[in-house]
Amino acid sequence: MRDRLSLLTMRLPVLLAALVAVAACTETFVGHQVLRVVPQSDEELQKVQELQDLEHLQLDFWLAPRRLGLPVDIRVPFPSLQAVKAHLEAGGVSYSIMIEDVQALLDEEQTEMLRSSRQLPLSTETFNYEAYHTIDEIYNFMDMLVAENPNLVSKLEIGRSTENRPLYVLKFSTGGTNRPAVWIDTGIHSREWVTQASGVWFAKKIVQDHANNEGVASILETMDIFLEIVTNPDGFAFTHTKNRLWRKTRSKHSGSICVGVDPNRNWDAGFGEAGASGNPCTETYHGPYPNSEPEVKSIVDFVKSHGNIKAFVSIHSYSQLLLYPYGYTSAPAPDQQELHEVSAKAVAALSSLYGTKYKYGSIITTIYRASGGTIDWTYNQGIKYSFTFELRDTGRYGFLLPAKQIVPTAQETWLGLKVIMEHARDNLY
Amino acid sequence: MPGLRASPPAFLLLLVLVFPRGSPAAPGAGQELEPGSRSAVAAARVALHYGNFQARSLGGLRALGQVRKATLKNIPESGHKYYLQFSTEDYRTGEDAGNCLATVLYPKKKSPPVVSIKCSHTKDKKEIQEEDNRFYQRIRHQSKPITGNNIPDSYGNIEPALEPVWALAVAGSSSIMWEKSTETLGYFLAQVKSVRQWVRKDDFTEFDYTVLLHEIPTQEIISCHMRLTWLPGHPLKVKHFCASNADEGSGAESGSAAGPSAEKGAKF
Repeated sequence: MRDRLSLLTMRLPVLLAALVAVAACTETFVGHQVLRVVPQSDEELQKVQELQDLEHLQLDFWLAPRRLGLPVDIRVPFPSLQAVKAHLEAGGVSYSIMIEDVQALLDEEQTEMLRSSRQLPLSTETFNYEAYHTIDEIYNFMDMLVAENPNLVSKLEIGRSTENRPLYVLKFSTGGTNRPAVWIDTGIHSREWVTQASGVWFAKKIVQDHANNEGVASILETMDIFLEIVTNPDGFAFTHTKNRLWRKTRSKHSGSICVGVDPNRNWDAGFGEAGASGNPCTETYHGPYPNSEPEVKSIVDFVKSHGNIKAFVSIHSYSQLLLYPYGYTSAPAPDQQELHEVSAKAVAALSSLYGTKYKYGSIITTIYRASGGTIDWTYNQGIKYSFTFELRDTGRYGFLLPAKQIVPTAQETWLGLKVIMEHARDNLY
Repeated sequence: MPGLRASPPAFLLLLVLVFPRGSPAAPGAGQELEPGSRSAVAAARVALHYGNFQARSLGGLRALGQVRKATLKNIPESGHKYYLQFSTEDYRTGEDAGNCLATVLYPKKKSPPVVSIKCSHTKDKKEIQEEDNRFYQRIRHQSKPITGNNIPDSYGNIEPALEPVWALAVAGSSSIMWEKSTETLGYFLAQVKSVRQWVRKDDFTEFDYTVLLHEIPTQEIISCHMRLTWLPGHPLKVKHFCASNADEGSGAESGSAAGPSAEKGAKF
């Protein structure tokens, strides 16, 4: 395959034209083959030269016939393949198929190009928000964002994961000391890839709004925003390398061969009650005790020591829901009415962009009973505006949401998030 | 709260039949549910799994739109019965695909839900047939037996060449998901892990699949092996076997592939 790729780059002018044509969707090369003939006699040479005159075949000679013993390379469009091969075979001219499908090779080349260009995005301007990224790419993005906006953005390490990966939180602040703050996390369940991807988009959006003095710029005048994009880095790495549908952390607790704890069942709110599993081999295993997972404990420690977080939003996928406490009990949260009203507004704002339909309500009535959940704990800590989003879709693609839906999902979700942030700002407690 | 949409005249008759008024002697008067409630939505999904499987077509595959009306009746000695009206979308394009009326009975004893479902069409039968034939031709006119992995892939992509094979997986796994569904356990098709075609001498197409189902509310990924045969216009034939747990080191459950194990902190 390597030889054929280098062969392709030798024909650079042709390749460029082909790629441009492909990009402009004017032509494809599906089924086209590149044949090589090495004429060994005058008769063979003549047979090949005859092909040049048959214009209707639309042959493209990459190496034109010249002398005996020199290779002749011909790109043959799919509809002409039979005729050309018949012509050569009838004349006793042997040929080999150098490229079985030109389009397949072009696609591969394009993927390679994209992959190599992805390794070096030069700034957050050239970063591709419409694609899914690896941990390294996201951590690199974060560093670039901080470097480009040192007066607005800083990166905090709030702890380390089980496998010793740093847990990074971006802080967006225009100053002050310990201002009231909004917390947003994405990727706590590693397989929910649209959430980490949306987190990256949110980070860039906050910076852009601030630069243009619109959107959340007004919120940043009086509040800070904390954003943890890869809340479960071990799980996330695992989804890239071994199992795309991995949900939990990657911790090993004694007494079991199974790996991982559900980080959304590990919080100290109804811990271990109905709505979580005590079996380490299940996807909703709550862990041996609350905050056993460093990914969870680091957030708990951060929230407690900060002491001034007013809104807390944890982002998941899929189902298209906006949820508020509780999940571990059917007792309504004391602020249920207000939370319900804010949810209605947030969902209306979200839907206004693309018509995406969301339902909303308490966790237990809307989705299912779940104990030890993030926002039940944060709510019980006194963070009134505690919400969970479940992003697109409703099951058609589920966790494997096509990358082209990343930006629309992030855009609409952002509108909902802004409603929550603005309400918190206007109703500080 | 979403109100009832005006139904086309053809539905009025069916409405009367499907939504009987409770008479004083009836075992349990129907309890009207919030159309958006999770049990109504879950029941509608079960009805659609069944409908997609029974439809024996790929062009007519539907996804759930919105539940418009839902009623729950307790049938003593029998189980819980849901009466549903919901809109649907074309599975591939997302376009409106018409409305359905359905009943779903979850039996007290362990067996698949009993479903009746009737849907209107936005695509006419001829269009659906032509789409099925196109899918069929695409499958038949490959030079080698079709194989594939990870459909969609990690990034949500489905290779155009593998679309018919994916549609077939949706139709086939619908039968598995319908059979396994209970009032408390629901399913989605998460991914086609692998597919391999068996070449046959007759006109039928035959495939071996490994499909991954996402189970709610347990969040488990269930791996199922599925052998499927299809010819447009004929019933889909599906044989399946599901592992009790997909992931490493698991299998602590008793070997049943059916319901959840009873454990402390069980999901419902």
